[in-house]
Amino acid sequence: MLFFSYFKELVGREVTVELKNDLAIRGTLHSVDQYLNIKLENTRVVDQDKYPHMLSVRNCFIRGSVVRYVQLPPEGVDVELLHDATRREARGG
Amino acid sequence: MVEGIRDFTAIVERDGVHQPVLDAQNGEELMHVQPGVSIVLGSHPPESPGTLYISTKQVIWLSDTNRAKGYAVDFLSISLHAVSRDPEAYTSPCIYAQIETGADEDESEGSDSECNGVLDLSKITEMRLVPSDPNQLDSLFDVFCECAELNPEPTEENEEEEHNWIFSADQLEDEATGEDSEPSIAIGQSNGDHDLARTVLELQINDQRFEDAEEMEHETDSAQR
Repeated sequence: MLFFSYFKELVGREVTVELKNDLAIRGTLHSVDQYLNIKLENTRVVDQDKYPHMLSVRNCFIRGSVVRYVQLPPEGVDVELLHDATRREARGG
Repeated sequence: MVEGIRDFTAIVERDGVHQPVLDAQNGEELMHVQPGVSIVLGSHPPESPGTLYISTKQVIWLSDTNRAKGYAVDFLSISLHAVSRDPEAYTSPCIYAQIETGADEDESEGSDSECNGVLDLSKITEMRLVPSDPNQLDSLFDVFCECAELNPEPTEENEEEEHNWIFSADQLEDEATGEDSEPSIAIGQSNGDHDLARTVLELQINDQRFEDAEEMEHETDSAQR
């Protein structure tokens, strides 16, 4: 649940979601649910030459299970806070 | 299991309307019906208007003209879905969906999805649903989102149980003792040993028999001398 809570903090920020099929989509994080399904707005495909048909997509629902990485905005990452949170989550089981 | 798009043939006619048969016994429910929707599979031409049925488990499209024809895809196989409105991407506003297929990615590239005029559904990785009324797109998108959220990965719970992270030495010891006792019982030493013992016993019996035979031979040998 930690990453769910953490991603919720990032709502409204720009993230890049990289899928297991190598497609990378950049957009504003609209929402995220407990399965880490991700909704993006104002999306654009990072590698537009490779995926021209995705060019125009404005809002997008990405299934959590197909996500490989989520690239976070550097200013949205509080390393100390995350450190503490992971430790706390670990102890709580 | 991920299987991509498939033909859908479980169609019944009720009150003059043909509709899909859902797996009601396993809790499948119809969430939304959208008439006047064309379907585009991969880069193939659109198929004549049909009706879209969205259930809690899958997206079903039934042709209006050919009453035996339909396609279905489970929400489990839909990697992403989006609203596409840019005419450069597709001539009509549509719901765009990427489909995860069981096939290898290299094989699933669109060009080979048609062989001798027969559509190979297992190689279709993209689907577009084009409603005759573009104003329906947003509500369709929302229904897609709602139903996708109803279909998390089926293995998720098991994985969470199995993938126990280790955070302290205490936990390690607990796990170690647990592993010492449990697997040995689970693998079944008694079973294994029992079988082994019997095999050894049989071998010994055989050995004794051979020994006897040899002795007999010796005896006959000596008798002949």
